[in-house]
Amino acid sequence: MTLIAEVESLRAEIPPVKAPQLKKRKLDRVTRLILIAIVLIIAALVLWPLYSILREGFSAQGLEVLGSLSSPTTLRIIGNTLLLGAVVGAGGTLVGFIMAYAQARVQFRGKRLLHLIALLPIVSPPFAVATAFITLFSRNGIISSGVFGLTPNVYGLPGLSFVLMFSFFPVAYMNMLGMLRNLDPSLDEASASLGATRFKTFWRVTVPMLLPGFAASFLLLFVEAIADLANPLVLGGNFTVLSTRAYMAINGEFNVPGASAYAIMLLVPALLVFLVQRYWVSRTNVTTVTGKPAGRVSLITSPLARIPILTFVGLVITTIVLIYGTVAVGGFVSYLGVDNTFTLANYQYILGGIGSDAILTTTLLAVVATPIAAVIGMTVSWLVVRKLTKGSGAMDFLAMLGLAVPGTVLGIGYAVAYNKAWIVGDYMLFPALAGGAAILGGTVGIVMVFVTRSLPTSVRSGVAAIQQISPAIDEAATSLGANSVTTFRTITLPLIRAALLTGLTYAFARSMTTLSPIIFITTPQTKIMTSQILGSVESGKFGIAFAYCSVLIILVMSVIGLISFLTSDKFYRIASAWRWRETIQQPKGR
Amino acid sequence: MTTAEMTREAAVAEVTTGKLVIDGLRKVYEGAQSALPAVDSFSLTIEAGEFITLLGPSGCGKTTTLRMIAGFEHPNEGSIKLDGEDMIALSPDRRPMAMVFQGYALFPHMTVRDNVAYGLRIKKLSKAQIAEDVDYTLESMDLAHLANRSPNQLSGGQQQRVALARAMVMRPKVLLFDEPLSNLDAKLRVQMRAEILRLQRQLGITSIYVTHDQDEAMMLSDRIVVMRNGHIEQVAKPSTIYLKPASSFVADFIGRANFLPASVLTARGSKALVRCLAREFEVDAHPDALSASVQLLLVRPEAMNVSATTSTTVEGDTGRILSAVFYGPVVEYEVETDAGNLVVEVAAPDVEAILSAGDFVQIQFDASKTWLLPAEGR
Repeated sequence: MTLIAEVESLRAEIPPVKAPQLKKRKLDRVTRLILIAIVLIIAALVLWPLYSILREGFSAQGLEVLGSLSSPTTLRIIGNTLLLGAVVGAGGTLVGFIMAYAQARVQFRGKRLLHLIALLPIVSPPFAVATAFITLFSRNGIISSGVFGLTPNVYGLPGLSFVLMFSFFPVAYMNMLGMLRNLDPSLDEASASLGATRFKTFWRVTVPMLLPGFAASFLLLFVEAIADLANPLVLGGNFTVLSTRAYMAINGEFNVPGASAYAIMLLVPALLVFLVQRYWVSRTNVTTVTGKPAGRVSLITSPLARIPILTFVGLVITTIVLIYGTVAVGGFVSYLGVDNTFTLANYQYILGGIGSDAILTTTLLAVVATPIAAVIGMTVSWLVVRKLTKGSGAMDFLAMLGLAVPGTVLGIGYAVAYNKAWIVGDYMLFPALAGGAAILGGTVGIVMVFVTRSLPTSVRSGVAAIQQISPAIDEAATSLGANSVTTFRTITLPLIRAALLTGLTYAFARSMTTLSPIIFITTPQTKIMTSQILGSVESGKFGIAFAYCSVLIILVMSVIGLISFLTSDKFYRIASAWRWRETIQQPKGR
Repeated sequence: MTTAEMTREAAVAEVTTGKLVIDGLRKVYEGAQSALPAVDSFSLTIEAGEFITLLGPSGCGKTTTLRMIAGFEHPNEGSIKLDGEDMIALSPDRRPMAMVFQGYALFPHMTVRDNVAYGLRIKKLSKAQIAEDVDYTLESMDLAHLANRSPNQLSGGQQQRVALARAMVMRPKVLLFDEPLSNLDAKLRVQMRAEILRLQRQLGITSIYVTHDQDEAMMLSDRIVVMRNGHIEQVAKPSTIYLKPASSFVADFIGRANFLPASVLTARGSKALVRCLAREFEVDAHPDALSASVQLLLVRPEAMNVSATTSTTVEGDTGRILSAVFYGPVVEYEVETDAGNLVVEVAAPDVEAILSAGDFVQIQFDASKTWLLPAEGR
């Protein structure tokens, strides 16, 4: 023990002379234990892998790559990555906005259908769009060559950004739709009553109000695009981005420190954007949420506006339908566009043997991970909203890291951090959790990744739900004698159940369709659907890839359907009728 | 009458528990804009079964005080003892108190019955006991027919009754009310006020009630605590607060007040001979009034009267009417005088005889209904 430490410890033992002031808000013991547990869990899930990447990246071998930052090759890769992010961010936001504007403000029939089709890309695996796109639009594509007789080269930036735009625009669409619906219609009415035409109102009122939304969507899509690995692998061609470069470093060059170095280059802009966005959202939430809208939106009926908007919407929807039609049909033919004979061979392959293995394992691991993510997520949101005063921002930030960190980075981090057992002397303190030599065939690592990726969604929905519960409700329970854990169990949890289940749905969908972090830690024993799909696509077995995608989409959709039924009013009525029946059977009096 | 009901009757008879002794309470919010404490040197002894109202303008510290008693805020200094037992050390869920909240804070996912039963279930009472207590409370508050409704199917008044029932069923030693009626419309507020008073008297539970509505405070309270800037300004019966306020702040806050400049001619005990509006009167005086350099005479509008005069100058006890408003039971005049503009309320006015703006009037008041106060820097 050093001298200073000794003095410090002595000082700690001296009782304070003055009676200690009462603390402002003491966490009770149980809450403190929970807090410590959560911090440890998050450290294991995100911080340790991140630290491991930094350690590897700044090792001698990693520094070689980091040192090449100014070399033309590396600069080009970084430039490519940022360019891709910018194009996809701008394009996806624009498409998302037009779709949302049409949905919220333009008069037409079939809005519900439009909504469902627009959300399809969210629940589908990353390759569905890319593979279908190649089948439809590449050199021998059904449409490009079959219909128009063209032989375009789709590999590279244009094709890649098109596919990414279609994969990610639903995120922008949902954001913008929420904002448009929150805009107080009386603003439009005020503008109109002051003599502005609808077009003027759109430019001078609606668009400026939505600027923060545009910015937020752009940043979100930017990060999604630069973090994506699956599509650049399939469609990138010579257009190398950081994620594919890191993948090559590991899978081709077996250079882990090098891969870590590329991962750091990817991590920096992603984290920066995440921080900017957090700051932005915290500054602008006053303007975006104006409370209950007063009045009603009058929908656009003028053909001058309707025709161009709806034509665009029609094109987007047709493309989505074409893409997913291709996926659906492609599973049932030998090689769509080349050999269109009907066959069940693809499904026979994936539903028997290796394929069914992958389907079962993936579903099982996602099913295991989802409730874990939910429990951690709800606990974190409870701590953030209700219990922590000072550290609440930091806690929220930690939990959100799982999404802020690109999947590629997270995957490499796991590969580095958990591939080896933690051995001190002769004792194994901790077994390897990821990779071929890991316990349980590396499934622990995969579940951890699923949990990490799902946690942010779970926290977001939890925080939003808990914030809607007035603190007085908690206090009422406390005042009636419930301690904080009882209050959480009997009041908070039941009240956020619906939000919890919705969060779970997204978490499950995300686990089922995620690839970039998983690809670095899958093992021969443990087969994950998305990495199987990648394998099929890379070896040109598009039929099998399509069949996998279809099964995956159907699986995810059924779970979403089931959960939305469980949280629907209809189900609630049935359930509460059942409860009511019990209540009146309770003994009355003596 | 069941045995349970008999024990309840017995409970009404002897109110022995629920004496609350608060001493030197102080609360400073960390990071608050002003360095001033939200509550400072708040000391008060509340007798068992007493109904106390904390009254004051917003920001005066009344809610903070209530929340410290409940345990939701921790005081920086001071003690709270309930029947001799220290409360500060107890977390809010262990304090034998129940709170009724401003926004009702009903649990939206539970029926009315479940809401009311919640605290008893936490207490782990037997099922039969819970059912009995809940039924009795629902019955006595006319909520039995709503027992299986969910809170969002109830009107505001009904929700408030459930909130009250949920607290009452606990038989707490102290009931805390945080502006419980402020979300109701005026008529319902008056009804609920009566209901709260009836229940409180029937059960004899010590009650602390926060409000900024003086009518509520006047009607409900055994004693009113008027607060200002975190301090107690006065603690007294409603009539004392109204007739003999401790300061011009209290006088102004409770009811409406005219403050007339008055000069003390001679003082005798608690009485003083003063000159005011060019006349001399003997009036009751606040103990501090005589030693103060400047005094004000409090005259409530209803203690004044005006009568037509032939005089045409504003001086002495003659004034000119600036406005006259007929409210039905009263007519209210605003009168310009040497001593500033005064409000005069004449009850049961004869409609024919109502004076109009511009009329010159002589001002009279009943000296026995006035109160001499030291002038504050107001």
